[in-house]
Amino acid sequence: MRSAARLFAGRSYDGTSIDDLVTHLGLHRNSLYKTFGSKRGLYLAALRWSLEHEVAPLIERVAEAAGPAEALRAALGPPDGGGGLDLLLLAAVERAPEDAEVAELVARTLAALDEAAGGSAPEPGTEPPADAHTSDDGLAVALSAAIIGLRIRTRSGAPGADVDRACAALAHRVGHH
Amino acid sequence: MAEISIDDGRLIVEIEGLSRVWALKKRLSIPLTHVRGATADPGIVREPKGFRAPGTHFPGLIVAGTFHIGGERVFWDVRDASKAVVVELTDERYARLIVQVSDPRAAVALIERAKLPS
Repeated sequence: MRSAARLFAGRSYDGTSIDDLVTHLGLHRNSLYKTFGSKRGLYLAALRWSLEHEVAPLIERVAEAAGPAEALRAALGPPDGGGGLDLLLLAAVERAPEDAEVAELVARTLAALDEAAGGSAPEPGTEPPADAHTSDDGLAVALSAAIIGLRIRTRSGAPGADVDRACAALAHRVGHH
Repeated sequence: MAEISIDDGRLIVEIEGLSRVWALKKRLSIPLTHVRGATADPGIVREPKGFRAPGTHFPGLIVAGTFHIGGERVFWDVRDASKAVVVELTDERYARLIVQVSDPRAAVALIERAKLPS
């Protein structure tokens, strides 16, 4: 499943042929059809594997982070620089709009990421604002959006996706509001 | 060439034109609950097909009819590999159907959408 997830994350759903899957996974074509029913069946299994083994641990690290800047580092730093998010991000733009089952998996995972981002404690030494609950919800969505955006920029190779700089800026801003 | 449609919870595969002669079949009707999925797969025509009975097999030209391979019965109707669609079945006479359609992407979407719970 790891190999299938890497293949779909690297080449997209449409860009991955059954020939690619047969070659890279070392599966017999008939076994692939017998086990998964279709390319979509294999894709859903690979996506679920990625969400459980790559994205869920990342979400846990974000939930345990001490503050937003630390949450960014936890998501986009070691061990893989946030690479575990790649299949989820591709699924969100490529498959979710036309596959209700993928859309549900993506929505549930993004909600969990929001919740984890909201659970990260404020930076030490900062006072929670009076409207703490509303601000935290907004900050959680902003933080998970920042995680996703920075990962997309890193993956595209575009300049400006300096996670350390983003963390420092976030810590500075949150500390002053 | 085959025409794929959905009618009252069933997948209908109509074999068209001369393919009817080669494949010795006109129409297949399968409950959607017995359809596991559909995939556009041009590369499948290079796979070993097993032995044919009954139908027509002119290697490299026409593959049509019932083939037996690995203890499974597979229905083939493909002349143009780029338009081949694989429909995986369960609890049916055929383990899978491999048919040529005019628009593989649309045929796969039609089958996969019909299978999604409403």
